Amino acid sequence: MSNSFVELHARQRAEALLDAGSTRELIGPFDNMISPHLEPQNIVPEADDGIVVMKGQLNQKDTVIIAIEGAFQGGGIGEVSGAKIVSALEHVLADNKAGHKEYPIIILDTGGVRLQEANYGLLSISEIHNMVIALKQYVPVIGLVPGRVGSFGGMSITNALLSYVIGTDKARIGLNGPEVIEQEAGVKEWDSSDKNLIWNTLGTKQRQATGIIDEVVDDDVNAFRTAITAAIDENKDSHRDQRGDFYLSLLDQLDPSQPLDIAGYDQLFKQVVAKPHHLAPATSGSQPGTKSRGRNWFELLTGIKNAHSDVPTVLHAQADGREYVAIVPAEDNRFPRVRHGEVGLQEGYTVASVINDLIAADADKPAAEKTPIVIVVDVPSQAYGYKEELIGIHMSLASAASAYARARQAGHKVVSFIPGDAVSGGFLAQGLQSNRLVALDDLDITIQAMSKASSARITQRTIAELEEATKHVPAMAYDIENYQKLGSLYNLIKGVKGYDSDANAVATVKAALDDAFKSLEDAPADLSFRYTNDIAVNGEGGGRKATNKVRALMDQQW
Amino acid sequence: MEKMHFNYAATQPIERPVHIGVVASGDLEVIMKPTDKKESELNIVTGSDGFKEVWQNVLNRFFDRYPLLADFEINDFGATPGVVNLRLTQAMEALKDEQ
Amino acid sequence: MSEERDWATHREAKANKLSAMSSTIDGKFAKTSDAKAILEGLIAPGDKVVLEGDNQKQATFLSKTLASVDPAKVHDLHMIMSSISRPEHLDIFEDGIASKMDFSFAGPQSTRVSQMIADGTLKVGDIHTYLELYARLYIDLIPNVVLVAADKVDRDGNLYTGYNTEETPVIVESAAFHDGIVIVQANEVVDKLPRVDIPADWVDVIIPADEPYQLEPLFTRDPQNITELQILMAMMAIRGIYEKHNVQSVNHGVGFNTAAIELLLPTYGEQLGLKGKIVPNWEVNPTPTLIPAIESGWVQSIHSFGGEVGMEKYIAARPDVFFVGKDGTMRSNRAFGQMAGQYALDMFVGSTLQIDQYGNSSTVTNGRLSGFGGAPNMGSNPTGRRHSTPAWQSLRPDNDPLGKGQKLVVQMVETFGSNKRPVFVDSLDAVEVRKEAKLQNVPIMIYSEDTTHIVTEEGIAYLYKTSSMAERQAAIEAIAGVTPVGLRSDPAVVKDLRARGIVAFPEDLGVNRNQATRSLLAAQNMEDLVKWSKGLYNPPAKFRSWS
Repeated sequence: MSNSFVELHARQRAEALLDAGSTRELIGPFDNMISPHLEPQNIVPEADDGIVVMKGQLNQKDTVIIAIEGAFQGGGIGEVSGAKIVSALEHVLADNKAGHKEYPIIILDTGGVRLQEANYGLLSISEIHNMVIALKQYVPVIGLVPGRVGSFGGMSITNALLSYVIGTDKARIGLNGPEVIEQEAGVKEWDSSDKNLIWNTLGTKQRQATGIIDEVVDDDVNAFRTAITAAIDENKDSHRDQRGDFYLSLLDQLDPSQPLDIAGYDQLFKQVVAKPHHLAPATSGSQPGTKSRGRNWFELLTGIKNAHSDVPTVLHAQADGREYVAIVPAEDNRFPRVRHGEVGLQEGYTVASVINDLIAADADKPAAEKTPIVIVVDVPSQAYGYKEELIGIHMSLASAASAYARARQAGHKVVSFIPGDAVSGGFLAQGLQSNRLVALDDLDITIQAMSKASSARITQRTIAELEEATKHVPAMAYDIENYQKLGSLYNLIKGVKGYDSDANAVATVKAALDDAFKSLEDAPADLSFRYTNDIAVNGEGGGRKATNKVRALMDQQW
Repeated sequence: MEKMHFNYAATQPIERPVHIGVVASGDLEVIMKPTDKKESELNIVTGSDGFKEVWQNVLNRFFDRYPLLADFEINDFGATPGVVNLRLTQAMEALKDEQ
Repeated sequence: MSEERDWATHREAKANKLSAMSSTIDGKFAKTSDAKAILEGLIAPGDKVVLEGDNQKQATFLSKTLASVDPAKVHDLHMIMSSISRPEHLDIFEDGIASKMDFSFAGPQSTRVSQMIADGTLKVGDIHTYLELYARLYIDLIPNVVLVAADKVDRDGNLYTGYNTEETPVIVESAAFHDGIVIVQANEVVDKLPRVDIPADWVDVIIPADEPYQLEPLFTRDPQNITELQILMAMMAIRGIYEKHNVQSVNHGVGFNTAAIELLLPTYGEQLGLKGKIVPNWEVNPTPTLIPAIESGWVQSIHSFGGEVGMEKYIAARPDVFFVGKDGTMRSNRAFGQMAGQYALDMFVGSTLQIDQYGNSSTVTNGRLSGFGGAPNMGSNPTGRRHSTPAWQSLRPDNDPLGKGQKLVVQMVETFGSNKRPVFVDSLDAVEVRKEAKLQNVPIMIYSEDTTHIVTEEGIAYLYKTSSMAERQAAIEAIAGVTPVGLRSDPAVVKDLRARGIVAFPEDLGVNRNQATRSLLAAQNMEDLVKWSKGLYNPPAKFRSWS
């Protein structure tokens, strides 16, 4: 192709889209804003940390392009790159709120979280999700997936949140790449050497046929410019994060014990009639459910013994005027890939329906009276499976993240309570959209962006070596005490463990939740607490110092 | 990963900064910034250890031909000497084009 | 008078062997399950055996079967193989089934070949070019048995070898007309063949194989992996060699450097106004990166050594360009291709792993004895050549009344390999490998005396213009970058060499480095090639990168 868009690197892509002579790059390669986390881990940094933020005009409309460089570290998002995206989007939001129409375009070419800065990457991506959801109320937030890396990991959830997504046939979209699924679920689940299967499943041809991408254009700069202009002029928004009833109806008709091929799925997709889905609160049952820390604390905090729900893996109920939501394991669950508490297709959409129902019920209440929400976090990961990717599990996780974010932005106070694991896409869907994170100081908790097995495989270390290497690096740590050094936690509750159930423990946790909710009175409804608190600003062990530097420089240059 | 530092006597000061390349596999980025110093200073981060002499040889040649006075930052992800030389000369040609 | 000599001992021996096996052979056909018994019955200890297998096509069923025979019955074979490609090709030496080998190329197995020679498991007769090895099948390596592969056979035993006919005819002929035994593995048995590539009359035994023969898409280069440096070198080559010497016929070696040239012809070549003026005639495998040049009218003819997986429909639809039978499928022929490559071409362009300070080059590095394949046939000046072409004449020295032209032999290399080891060295690794493997000659791929041009990212050295070895060395040094050889280069000498046209840098050729971008490629990825081919090219799944 003579005017290929895919061939270009991030900076060239931004320049190619914008009207000639109208461009200005913010926090560019001469600003010396490199990642502080890479060199200490023997990784060569890039001067722009793989993100190009460029203001300019596209067909005379004020536009801000955020382009991810897929060739640098697989387009992975770390602290600096994440903060560049978030702070740029914040300014676009502020400008639009102030009446200055400005259109954000995000060029996705990314595998998601940058492994060497995993904890920062996951936090940043949740903050990106928050901003995209807020911005969509003012302008379409347009995504481009030109192709090469494509759009994977936590950034595929971003993809699902965007108003309108345009790609070429060289792009792939999925939550977990085939290699990760083969690693986690075996070669029978997905043979990652089968390139035809990969492209037929994750390629944009299939993705467009099943609602995962909106438009596929030729690999040509002008084709992109034309498509973007049309999307802006027509205010396009496909509301991909609010299709829960459709997908829950689809899942009702699916037999997860049977293989599902592409043709079979296409047929199923076409004949689904969306029916409303509402999940009744959990009730007390006669048999105990599959044991987990999430279930333990859901039952302790709501007072429901042997909590039982129509969707066995999603428990919700109100108690003390608060809404509690937990995703739990269910050993004989219909969907095999979520039997250990993972967040799968049904879990994301069901949680979203619960929260959407709550938003609707409280819609007319003033902010102070909206029902506070407690997310009980115990998610070992998202579900790894072929069917999950074929159907588009990233959209399910996006629905949940979107619901929590919209609840918070509407005035619901949202606190995540972490008595169990908080890993990867599961955590992005079920936990990271809260204003406050409150965790037990329990070293059995694993908190990270990638499971140890996957991380060990990618960095070619044994799990033991990985644990040793990451023990003292908060950016990559797996334990809650190191995680606290980032400044992300509002409170680390001492002296209570995940499986405790005594009255003392319950009282301590309840007091901590009360305290967290109290701190939210008159506090901003955004996620800024995570980088503005004392540990984040001044902490010795890491904090969010680079985040704050980026934010200050963006303010200055905007 | 290895960090290297070089200084070169140079006579042609540059007027504006220039940036070329991407830290992609087998590639590098070169940043040149104007300087008040008397000689060019180069800070190099490379992903391939043990090639300091080769770097020195590439740079000797480059400064022999094009004695650009600037602060250089180079982030290298395993580029061959040929690619390093290409990016350096491209940066030089980009400066010329702007003049 | 003494008793009349028996002049047909070979024929009688062959007849005896075949009649002893008559219970397992019905006409010419044997059962798949009897393959091992057939080989044990028809191959005698010490026989010279040709096992078909080049760098693309492998008689896999027969090679696996040979590796399974009883070494008590079949042993000490003298194997003749153009390519040592599969593990069982060497397993048979460890089991004693074979003891001596004459071969040409050992790509994937090259490390193991060196080790087995060093420890005495493998006795090497010699290492050849393809054409030499085929030639010796008719002189002093006449085979007792040949084991070959066919796509289809009919009930009479005629063979269809189709696109990948390659070396089957030259092997079969050497046995069929000297009372050797011809054993064929067949992908399928059909009632009617598309065409007859080998007549039944030349064939003795046909065994349906349990799986199709192995076929590798060896000449497919994904344009996605072409670098800007390769594009820069390709631009220099087009300007400084193709255009300058008015080259009409060419062979390109396997590699991204030449793939870049192929993909620049319809863009950069067009900009230079060269279309219709250079390289209409090719001896080359049907490499997919040629599709844009073919489609935009640069190419008049292509003869091929072998086929290329995925190119079948495209070739069938372009019979004006490719060699295609009446049935509509291509016919390749490795022996004729090598012959054409040696004698009828203006130019060979290849790449290598090491070049020494004098200009000798070798692909033998790090103890890997990779052999020669066909490159030295193409990459050498055929002193027996008598016909003239403008390119050939353009290399004629002007100080010799009996002087004649020369083939252009071009080596294109980056000064350092991707492992960042220098390509230009004082002494080739091959010198050491000769000692370890106890070879008669240092395994040089292309000798300095045959090498007329070297292209690097630094520039072009026109070696044919040099008048002494010292000048040749200086020209090489001038384009050898910061390799140990290049560091010796003297700027004053370089200036003189540039002034005399013995060395050219990009600026001397009018080549702009900033123009060397991937957007200059006529196709940037496999999907572009498919589009250029109007959907006729069907790349193997491993090259899939679009939906």
